[in-house]
Amino acid sequence: MTAIVRGSGGNPANAADEGVCLALGTMGSAESTIASACRTETTFTANGRPVRVELDPRESLLDVLRERLGLTGTKKGCDHGQCGACTVHLNGRRIVSCLTPAVQVNGQAVTTIEGVADADGTLHPLQEAFIDNDALQCGYCTPGQVMSGLACIAEGHAGSDDEIREYLSGNLCRCGAYAGILAAVRETARRLNSPVSEG
Amino acid sequence: MRPFSYAVPATLAEAVSALAASEPGTKILAGGTTLYDLMKLDIEAPPAVVDVHRLAELAAIDTTRPDEFSFGAGARMADVADDPVVRRDFPVLAESLAKAASQQLRNMATVGGNLLQRTRCGYFRGGPAFPCNKREPGSGCSAIGGLDRGHALFGAGDACVATYPGDWAVALLAFDAEIDVIGPRGVRTVAVGDLHVEPGDDPQREHTLAGDELIVRIRVPVTPSGRGSTYHKIRDRESYAFALVSVAAGVAFDDRGVVEDCRIALGGVATRPWRSPAAEAVLIGERLTEATARRAGEQAFAGARPGTGNAFKIELGIRAVGDALRIAGERAGR
Amino acid sequence: MSTPTRRVDAREKVTGAARYGADRTSPDLAHAVFAVSTIGKGRVVNVDTAAAEAVPGVLTVVTRIDPAELGSPGFLMGGGYGFQSLQPLTDDRIAYRGQPIALVVADTLVAATEAANLVRADYEPEPIATDLDDEGAETLVQEEAIPLPFLADIVVGDADAAFVKSPVRIEASFDLPRQHQVPMELIGGVVEWRGDTLVVHEGTQNAGALRGGLARQLGMDLAKIEVIAPYTGGGFGQKNSLQPHVGPLALAARRLGRPIKFVMPRTQTFHQASFRPASRHRVRLGADETGRMLAAVHEVDQQTSRHDLFPSMSTEITSRLYGIGDFRGRQRLVRTDVQTPGFMRAPFEHPAAFAFESAVDELAYAVGQDPVSLRLANDTDVDPVTGQPFSSRHLAECLRRGADMFGWAGRTHEPRSMRAADGSRIGWGVAAGVYPASLAPAVARVTATSEGKVTVGVDGHEMGQGIRTAITLLISEDLSIEVGDVTVYVGDTRVAPQHLTAGSWGTATALQAVHAALRELRKHLNVADSDPVDLGAAVAATGQTSVEVEATTIAPGQPPEIIEHSRAGLVSFAGPVYPGFVAFSFIAHFVEVRIEPTTRRIRVPRVVSVADCGRVASPVTAASQLRGAVVWGIGASLREESEVDPRFGGFANATLEEYPIPVNADIGEIEVGFVDEPDPMLNPVGVKGLGEVAMVGVAAAIANAVFHATGRRQRRLPIRIEDVL
Ligand SMILES: Cc1cc2nc3c(=O)[nH]c(=O)nc-3n(C[C@H](O)[C@H](O)[C@H](O)COP(=O)(O)OP(=O)(O)OC[C@H]3O[C@@H](n4cnc5c(N)ncnc54)[C@H](O)[C@@H]3O)c2cc1C
Ligand code: SF4
Ligand code: FES
Ligand code: FES
Ligand code: FES
Ligand code: FES
Repeated sequence: MTAIVRGSGGNPANAADEGVCLALGTMGSAESTIASACRTETTFTANGRPVRVELDPRESLLDVLRERLGLTGTKKGCDHGQCGACTVHLNGRRIVSCLTPAVQVNGQAVTTIEGVADADGTLHPLQEAFIDNDALQCGYCTPGQVMSGLACIAEGHAGSDDEIREYLSGNLCRCGAYAGILAAVRETARRLNSPVSEG
Repeated sequence: MRPFSYAVPATLAEAVSALAASEPGTKILAGGTTLYDLMKLDIEAPPAVVDVHRLAELAAIDTTRPDEFSFGAGARMADVADDPVVRRDFPVLAESLAKAASQQLRNMATVGGNLLQRTRCGYFRGGPAFPCNKREPGSGCSAIGGLDRGHALFGAGDACVATYPGDWAVALLAFDAEIDVIGPRGVRTVAVGDLHVEPGDDPQREHTLAGDELIVRIRVPVTPSGRGSTYHKIRDRESYAFALVSVAAGVAFDDRGVVEDCRIALGGVATRPWRSPAAEAVLIGERLTEATARRAGEQAFAGARPGTGNAFKIELGIRAVGDALRIAGERAGR
Repeated sequence: MSTPTRRVDAREKVTGAARYGADRTSPDLAHAVFAVSTIGKGRVVNVDTAAAEAVPGVLTVVTRIDPAELGSPGFLMGGGYGFQSLQPLTDDRIAYRGQPIALVVADTLVAATEAANLVRADYEPEPIATDLDDEGAETLVQEEAIPLPFLADIVVGDADAAFVKSPVRIEASFDLPRQHQVPMELIGGVVEWRGDTLVVHEGTQNAGALRGGLARQLGMDLAKIEVIAPYTGGGFGQKNSLQPHVGPLALAARRLGRPIKFVMPRTQTFHQASFRPASRHRVRLGADETGRMLAAVHEVDQQTSRHDLFPSMSTEITSRLYGIGDFRGRQRLVRTDVQTPGFMRAPFEHPAAFAFESAVDELAYAVGQDPVSLRLANDTDVDPVTGQPFSSRHLAECLRRGADMFGWAGRTHEPRSMRAADGSRIGWGVAAGVYPASLAPAVARVTATSEGKVTVGVDGHEMGQGIRTAITLLISEDLSIEVGDVTVYVGDTRVAPQHLTAGSWGTATALQAVHAALRELRKHLNVADSDPVDLGAAVAATGQTSVEVEATTIAPGQPPEIIEHSRAGLVSFAGPVYPGFVAFSFIAHFVEVRIEPTTRRIRVPRVVSVADCGRVASPVTAASQLRGAVVWGIGASLREESEVDPRFGGFANATLEEYPIPVNADIGEIEVGFVDEPDPMLNPVGVKGLGEVAMVGVAAAIANAVFHATGRRQRRLPIRIEDVL
């Protein structure tokens, strides 16, 4: 299914019929596009679901996820790349969505906290480990911590406590849940990296 | 943020022609972690941006040649930082990137855009409440006589004392890196040492590239002192912070254990990446000891001109140079 | 029954399902942004909104609101509701840089932001005073300026005379910086009208004050205002009152007929809300040669704004740390040109304990005593100020157990005597902390069903401290039902008045009310208080499918009418002095610092903290709360200062980049312990407070450890690299 979100007023609506407000020009090749200040059509997948939105190029991926797609699990803590609350995965790599113009993710795959647990509600082992280690308090930084922790493990940056601390330092937690976050990532990395059976 | 138009060229050639044909003030957009950030702060307001973030021609990392490493301008900081060959043969390069920003930002930011990041001077970024010559020519500089703990000891003028905040360029400068630049007038090569300029009386001008020129790649000559190198960064917290003082250092010894090559460049203390040939000269032909390293540090900070709140960085910097040389020396096998 | 090892709302939080104030979306949402003053004080002469209004999508630009339409909310500490009395946009005065001069509402956030940046103003600036010593700053003696008993000087005996006579005298002055709470959740939310009812979704610690304050500002009936805040993304004092955006948003939303979302940019949160004021503490401590403390004088100057007097209660705790016979505590307030400062975790107690416990460490060295033994030798059973007993006091146990866990016996006394293999200096420091155990009125409504499920609505706000978990555990244990069968509503004015949750009284207050409601429920079900109960069956036996009970509780000694005060949204807590006893929580912190031999970076690899907070109502969340407070203490001691450039006013480093709160890599091992002795004198659940006491003394323990490592006393926070080079 393709979710189509129209630009007018920035409000979600289902309007499969109307075209974009400004024609997409070409610059000599079929792939290149130019859009004016008005709106540009952008397609990407959010948690595996195709999304088509008409964007003002000024809009951040963070605001588009939250305000247009209703994916409010991703949080705004600074809007300037200084806290990590807005961390999502772009093609499997962690980025801050507040410093990503949404038009830039055209054609790419975005994963947010809402896409981490299984469809049947089974939590990812890292989410379980966050709960088991009480790696959260107010919970506001938590979606970003989980997205960052997942990536930290996938990148191979969870080899030691010091390495985990360093590679999770891009996610501020004012409640100071750092010890639990460290424990959760450490535990999950061990679990995921240890072979299921020897031989 | 002001409205702007957005273009995504599919090839490098298209990017060059798009830039050549664009309105004055058009900006190249790579990872956006500086440019989009400053646009959000209403400090940059380009009428148009040309997005080169995903140009395949800018992405390559080549560490296969024995004499030179080459990094596409569009390569991500994280990828260069994690490259096993770079980490082994040129730790200063990997560390200057790994100790910058956060992993999220390093996944977005490019090594080309990194060179042209702009100062973190709080008055510059703070907006219209503060006079700032860099943001508003002729308005004055709030940092002079103000909160200048983070401001420059070197290369400042009467117009602006803002620190160049980046780490990567400091490492590149120490090792004589060059960049290849393409524009409507063709291709040229610029030494990293010739890229950034001191503010003089025109702090708006920060580098020597024309608006329609695009960095294609960064080339770094491979040298033995690259193996014996480190990027030592002192910050207000352990991670996710700009440098109070940073030192890119490299040494190579001859078989008698005497220093035959030495590189020292400083970050966080100057208006541009700051190399110190005089400090390097202190060590060349000498043995690396605590005392000679200290002398090199003192030489590196000779001529520092502190303001009101940053004089401590002289002693801190001297010691950081000493520590950096010690780490580099250990890696060089001495 | 499941074991209490998990936070009950953790699943919502790790999946992104928890809905914070700004997580509301609706099809016709408009977005609002403030334009703010660029001068530090003066008058706005003219606001030019033409360019802003011309931005496509802009719905309105409000530059002035008639005070008849929007009155002052009143100051929280002056019988009102606002973090300050000043309501921006209602006149032409500018009291501080960053004060709003226009509110822009637009269809989209990009349009509103662009337009706000285009608002231009002409000003008549006036000179400003930003610091305690600045020309133009005005110093007032607190007990004269605000003649309320609990803000008076604390005088026991004749401390000045006793100090002069003391054989050993310590005298030192300590400077503490302005700091900001910076909870990760930005201030803001969604304001909407449903018919003539105003509904506010906003993260807060005080939904009651939002409701009461809006009622006062807009001249509305309380019943027509709902404030809904099931989750607050951190408060730490910043969200304890009505902030200046809500009133204007309510008016704009009504005029436009649309809900409005407002998310305050991080930099504005440094100016549109309170902060920890700068303070200076002069401590004089007299003792005999054995280290027996005889006299103490603790004098405090604390910054406030021009328009409000934010009081200081610093010496309330330093007078209770030890059994000192002669004590004098005095607070003065210094008016400066800022927004009104306010509460930030351990608001007075963190600075006061830094000063006092540093001085106590100096005394230990002056008399050649071990700092732990010296503290133990000066312990007291009786409150030296009132002569009443403590409801419970286990400070000595905190010190003993902490010393044990830390391995304090392995410490060598001499400064600079411990060194690590890599040449780093090691310093071990200790400090004690104390914090008032207050209580507030609360209403709890419990509904039990014949399916054996319970729903409770009660005063309280969940901002990470785990109040929802503590309430759930109490009910689950009392009624022998599964944790999953309990649903808790807090932070919602539709279910309870929602008195301010702060000052560490939140959990005890809510639990006391829920406990009373459970007693009431048992009465209805004909089950004795101590008997086991089969809830579903007991409810069914009444012939109903559900039973609803309500209980109201107040603090010991409070008049019953206090509940009406609380229902109005006004601050109504009591303590720490109650009829016949006083109540405080206690803690001891043990810290190891390591200081690099060359560049002198200070690291804190290890902390041990043991708390006496009465009964531990929720072990898992309590441990997190304590660890988090230690992280706060590390930030407050080594990192955080809100900087001011006196030429401009406002705050200069108002971003998460420049205001350096600790990151993960800053934090080492934090081991926590609890005495876990119930305090039945204070309330039937035996709970005192934890969130604030947990931070009290951390800074002193760190500074004392830095002294032990370097031989140099640190009398100013934060201790930065340049202070130990
Ligand atoms: C919170 C935070 C912390 C940070 N900490 C650090 C740190 O500790 N150390 C550090 O070094 N950096 C740090 N940075 C800065 C960051 O590294 C830079 O913003 C980033 O490297 C810039 O790269 P980019 O690809 O995002 O550039 P962009 O923002 O896209 O562009 C930056 C500039 O370069 C120009 N440009 C981009 N690509 C090219 C090209 N190929 N040719 C010509 N011009 C080009 C753009 O027009 C623009 O002017 C931090 C940033 C943030 C937000
Ligand atoms: S130091 Fe430079 S950037 Fe900072 S206020 Fe002065 S002129 Fe502006
Ligand atoms: S909101 Fe994106 S990093 Fe803070
Ligand atoms: S859990 Fe509150 S900010 Fe991290
Ligand atoms: S004008 Fe402010 S740092 Fe240059
Ligand atoms: S309000 Fe004080 S920490 Fe909670």
